[in-house]
Amino acid sequence: MGKEECKTMLDALNKVTACYRHLVIALGSTSDSQNLREELKKTRKKAQELAVANRTKLTTLLKDKTISKEDRAEYERLWVLFSSSMELLEVDMKRSLEIGQDFPLKVPTRHLIQTGMTGNTNAVAARAMSVQNMKYEADSNIDTADLRDLQSEITQVSQMMEEMEMKVQVAPWAVVAKQEAGAELKSNMSVGNSSVGVISICEEEPKDDEGGGGREGGSTSIGAVLVFFVILTVALVLGYLVVNM
Amino acid sequence: MTIKNALRDYGQRYRPRMACLRKAEKVLLEMQDPCAGVKSQPQRLVITIIPHAITGEDIIAWLADRFQIDPQEASSFGSMLVALGYIYPLQDHKRLVIKPDTSLYRFQTPYFWPTQQWPVEDTDYAIYLAKRNIRKKGILELHEQEQYNHLHKWMNHKWDFIVMQAKEQYRAAKERKKPDRVVFDCQERAYWVVHRPPVRKHSQKLPLNNFVEVFEHDLPRPWHSIFIGFKSKFELDYSKKSNFVWASFLSEPFTCRSKIVGENLAFWEGCEDLKWGTAVAMKEKAEQIYKTFLARGAPRWINIDGKTMEITVKGLKHPHRYVLDAAQTHIYMLMKKDSYGRYLKSPVFKETLKKAVNPEEHKFNEVQLEQNARNRRPSLSPIIIRQQEQEQRAKMAASAPVDITQVMSKLSKQGKEMGPRHSK
Repeated sequence: MGKEECKTMLDALNKVTACYRHLVIALGSTSDSQNLREELKKTRKKAQELAVANRTKLTTLLKDKTISKEDRAEYERLWVLFSSSMELLEVDMKRSLEIGQDFPLKVPTRHLIQTGMTGNTNAVAARAMSVQNMKYEADSNIDTADLRDLQSEITQVSQMMEEMEMKVQVAPWAVVAKQEAGAELKSNMSVGNSSVGVISICEEEPKDDEGGGGREGGSTSIGAVLVFFVILTVALVLGYLVVNM
Repeated sequence: MTIKNALRDYGQRYRPRMACLRKAEKVLLEMQDPCAGVKSQPQRLVITIIPHAITGEDIIAWLADRFQIDPQEASSFGSMLVALGYIYPLQDHKRLVIKPDTSLYRFQTPYFWPTQQWPVEDTDYAIYLAKRNIRKKGILELHEQEQYNHLHKWMNHKWDFIVMQAKEQYRAAKERKKPDRVVFDCQERAYWVVHRPPVRKHSQKLPLNNFVEVFEHDLPRPWHSIFIGFKSKFELDYSKKSNFVWASFLSEPFTCRSKIVGENLAFWEGCEDLKWGTAVAMKEKAEQIYKTFLARGAPRWINIDGKTMEITVKGLKHPHRYVLDAAQTHIYMLMKKDSYGRYLKSPVFKETLKKAVNPEEHKFNEVQLEQNARNRRPSLSPIIIRQQEQEQRAKMAASAPVDITQVMSKLSKQGKEMGPRHSK
């Protein structure tokens, strides 16, 4: 059905937008590199393809006058999701242009900001492109060459958004969200163990509650290991007794 | 000079012009230089080592050396950089000041630098709060919880998007290695401490120093400052809940006079409220304003001429946002021509001026000090700048004229640097 397809495409666009934002945040810092610029370019292009596909699908669905009221409300909700994603994407593209221009890479003395981030963003880009590993095949002057493309793409996106607003009459404020407050907590994602360790080391002050959370997580894992060893010992002892009986 | 919180925030955060941002960015870039920049050291956490941490004393020493200023000024310059958001503290992250000791700081990534053209979006803040909610498993700080509920209410139509985006951004962030994840979390948190600081409620509505500062500088509409002064006085009178120094000082005759002016100000406020308020409440507000200020025998009747009154009353039959514009303009002109002049001649004003020129010492409590540190203006006091210029000139005059062109170019360069800080 059209709705399911739409939702899948919107999810994909949402994912790419989130990854793109994460990549733009790394621009200009010590994790900036030619690879990052290429990742930005590829992610951007993918986002645009998804955007065009989404827009075509949604406009056809919304223009259909024969749909029921509930369906229409649902499509309007999807439309708001789509346009919010596009707004975010547009802003991030404009910012990446600005920061990209301010921090060129092919200069004799690079002045990247020492933010403490030194790792690469391959995994984030791979997530955006839905591939296992990223392949880097661009020239070494991508940081300047890409900026021109970026400018024209920004114009395209702005035009597309203007068209969208004119052609589709959806009142965004009239849409009622399906998720209630705190909905992000009821997810099927692993919120737990791997991130708890991260929380504890953001601050060194012992009175910070984040430290408490980390210590809790650490002690839980130590406890689990101890329990495991206890059980193993008991099993060995019992086994020994059984063998000797 | 900006009048913070003078007008109501109608959903738009006040964005002052910040010509100093570009200059600050240049300084930041200089600080990155591996040889001549600020010395960085690794930050050792439990099992991770994160590079590029700088100490407060190193920052201050570098600034003092680079600009040839004394440590105190370097310290306030450094605090300005922190308050703006270019550098963030790693310990005690809610206090945006530079401590002249071994406390650690780090540079903020360019995406999170303060910018003039990109307003700080509430959508982004909502996404951040949702992400924080996930990480903290529902236990947010009090002000964050309040903001979360507030945003959930008025951004409800976008809430699906906010939840979806928060989850995806959270997942994307987890793809990075641990040290980078920690840095990213610190960066984001620091950004929102700068742009959405927790608002503390105090009993004083307008501390005296704010009001006095407003008086010290030229404003495009000078009587606006008096409006603030009046407003605070009325709030004090009507609310009767302050131990404000100024309140005890004002005398009875002024209060009488001010009661006449009070109507006009209250009416003006009511008109602004109507113009900027919600469409739903408009009809009620218009009726209330009519009953309170315009009707015959109203409790706070304002003195506008017959013609304007006629037009306004007619318009109020079918009220719209700008129905009270004519009356409002009339009141504004009246205040400007009449009351303002009277106020300038009044003893109250003269006393306030005296206090402005020779202010008495403020007795702040701890909480206030903290708030002031947060709200501090990001620029050097003009008095210090003037003193410095005078000293410079004296030095130039005393020393032999070595090379005129060098001297002139140095002066003009300094003038340009100081320039934007003056123009507030």
